[in-house]
Amino acid sequence: MGQLTLPCFPPAEHCSQSVRKVEFEPLSTTALILEDRPPNLPAKSAEETQRHRQQYEQMVAGAKRRELKEAQRRQQQMKERFRQEEVISNATLVWNQHILPHWDTTKSSRRAQELWWGGLPPSVRGRIWSLAIGNELNITAELYEIFLSRAKEKWTSLSDTEDGASLAEPSVELITQDISRTFPSLCVFQKGGPYHNLLRNILGAYTCYRPDVGYVQGMSSIAAVLILNMGEAEAFISFSNLINRPCQLAFYRVDHQLMCRYFRTFQVFLEETLPRLFLHFQSLGLSPDLYLMDWILSLYTKPLPLDVACRVWDLYFRDGEEFLFRAALGILRLFQDVLLHMDLISVAQFLSRPPGEELLSDRLFSCILATPLLSGNRKWSQVSHLTNRVITVSKSQREIGSNELFCFPQVLSSCSC
Amino acid sequence: MQNNHHKEHLYKILVIGDLGVGKTSIIKRYVHHNFSPNYRATIGVDFALKVLNWDQETVRLQLWDIAGQERFGNMTRVYYREAMGAFIVFDVTRPASFEAVTKWKEDLDSKLTLANGKHVATVLLANKCDQGRDVLTNNGIKMEQFCQENGFVGWYETSAKENINIDEAANCLVKHIMASENDMLQSEVPDTVTPQLEKDKGGTCSSCFRSQ
Repeated sequence: MGQLTLPCFPPAEHCSQSVRKVEFEPLSTTALILEDRPPNLPAKSAEETQRHRQQYEQMVAGAKRRELKEAQRRQQQMKERFRQEEVISNATLVWNQHILPHWDTTKSSRRAQELWWGGLPPSVRGRIWSLAIGNELNITAELYEIFLSRAKEKWTSLSDTEDGASLAEPSVELITQDISRTFPSLCVFQKGGPYHNLLRNILGAYTCYRPDVGYVQGMSSIAAVLILNMGEAEAFISFSNLINRPCQLAFYRVDHQLMCRYFRTFQVFLEETLPRLFLHFQSLGLSPDLYLMDWILSLYTKPLPLDVACRVWDLYFRDGEEFLFRAALGILRLFQDVLLHMDLISVAQFLSRPPGEELLSDRLFSCILATPLLSGNRKWSQVSHLTNRVITVSKSQREIGSNELFCFPQVLSSCSC
Repeated sequence: MQNNHHKEHLYKILVIGDLGVGKTSIIKRYVHHNFSPNYRATIGVDFALKVLNWDQETVRLQLWDIAGQERFGNMTRVYYREAMGAFIVFDVTRPASFEAVTKWKEDLDSKLTLANGKHVATVLLANKCDQGRDVLTNNGIKMEQFCQENGFVGWYETSAKENINIDEAANCLVKHIMASENDMLQSEVPDTVTPQLEKDKGGTCSSCFRSQ
C-alpha cells in the first residue's frame, strides 16, 4: 500500500475542541481522504492533493481486484462443492440400487471396489461398515440388551454405595473420564450431549460382554465414530466384532509379542518404500511404536481429522488390516520432506497430529495409492509370516526379554538383516 | 568438552501418574500457555518441547507425556529410558490417584537409574488445586514428610487451569537435574569408562548427555 501523508493535527488538548466547533463528520473514507482539511488546519498543497487522489485511486482499484479474485475463488469453491455433492449423490444411488441389494455378489466387483476407494457416502457408510465388519461373534440385539442391563445394574449399585468412585471397578471410572473427552469439539458425547448415554451404554455393555478385554483407552473414539454412523445395537455389534479382529485385539490387549510383529512387518515396508525416512528414523532412534501405537489404537481418529479418518476406515474394511499400515506409510510419504529435517521429539510431536491441510484427504490418498504394500514381490501377510518366524527363531536361540523384544533399533537391525 | 559460552542442555522429562489427573493439561499450560478442559486421552505417549533460558545457557526439555492407563504400563515403561527427571502427578480431588503415587514412584525407580546409580530427580504435583484440597487436608498427610520418605525432591500444589505453580515446579525440577548432572560429572574419575543405562549412540561420551 502506498504511504499516505497524514495531516498534522495540533496537540491533543486542542483537538477535542476543534472537532466540536467544526462539526467535521466525514461520511466515508472518500471524504476523509479527498475532502479538504478542516479550516483550522493548513490546507493541502495542490501537489499533495494530487498525490492523495492517486493513492486513493490505487487503493480502490486494489480493493476491487481483491474482491473480484475473492468472488472467483468463492465461485470455484461452490462449483467444486456442487461437483462433490453430485459425485456423492451419484455414488449413493449406485450403492443403494446396484450394490447393496446384492451385497455378497457385488461387493468385490470392480465397480464397487473403485467407488469404495473414493470414500463411502455418509448416508450409506454405516450400512456398508456394518456389512463389511460382519458379525462373526453372532451377537444379537437381545444379547446387547442383556449386557446393557448388567452394566446398568453395576452402575446403580456403585452409585448406591458411599464413596463409590474410589471403590468402583476402574473401568467404570475410566469410561466416564474418557467419554467426557471424546471428540470434544463435536460437543455431542459430553455430559448432557445427545450421544453421551449411547456411548456410555455401548462401552459399559462391552466391558460386561468381554471382561477379558475390558475398557482400554482409545475404545471410546472407536465406539463414538460407529455411533455417529449407525444405530445403538448395530454399533455395539460392529464395535465388538471390530475389537475382535486380530490386529485390534493385539493392540487393545497390549500383547507385546503380537504388537511387535506388526511393528517389525511395518519396518520392512517402511525401509522398502521410504528408505531415506527409514534411515533418518533409525538415526534418531525413533521406533514405529512411538507413533503406530497411537494411530492403531485410535484407528486414526487421533492423528487425522474425523472425515479423513472415516475414509481410512472405509478402506480398512475393504482391504483388511494391511490397509492400516499402508495408510501409515501414506502419511509418512505425504510429510516425508518435512520429517527428514526434524529431530526425534519434533517428529514424534508432528506425527501425533500432523497439520490438517487443505485437501488433506485427496493428497493423503494419492500418497497411499502411490504406496502399494509390496516388499520385493511379497505381500503384507507373507512378510508378516516371515517376521514371525524370525522372532520365534531368535527367541529360542537367545532368550529375549520382553523389553528387548520391543522394536528397538538395535534389535531390529540385528534381526531384519 | 563443550564451549561454555553457548552451552545447551537437553533433558528428557517424564510426566506420569494415573489417568485423568491432568498430565496433558499441565504440559499444555507449561509449553503453550493455554488450557482447555477437553484434552483427549493420551494413548501411548505424547510429546512436547520447552526451551528455557537458564543463566545464559539454553535448556531444552523433552516432555514425555505417558498414558495413565495401567494396561499400557508394560508398553510405555520402555519410554522411561534416558530420562533425567520426572513429574508424578495426582488429582487432589481423587484420593485413589494419590494412593497410586507411591506405585508410580516405585515403578519409576525400579526401571530407571542414573549413571551414578541414583534415582532421577522427581517432583510431585498435586494438581487441580483450584477444585479443592480434599486429599491434602482430609487424610492428615504431611506432604513434606511424604516426599522425604518417598524420595521426591519437592512437591507443588498446581493448577493447569489457573496456571498455579507450574513454572515453579518445572524450575525446581530443572535445578535438581542440573545439580545431579554436575554431581555425576565431578564424581567421574578420568580415564575410566562409566557404564551407562544402555549403549551409547553414535559415539557420544557418557558425560555429554547428548548436549550439543
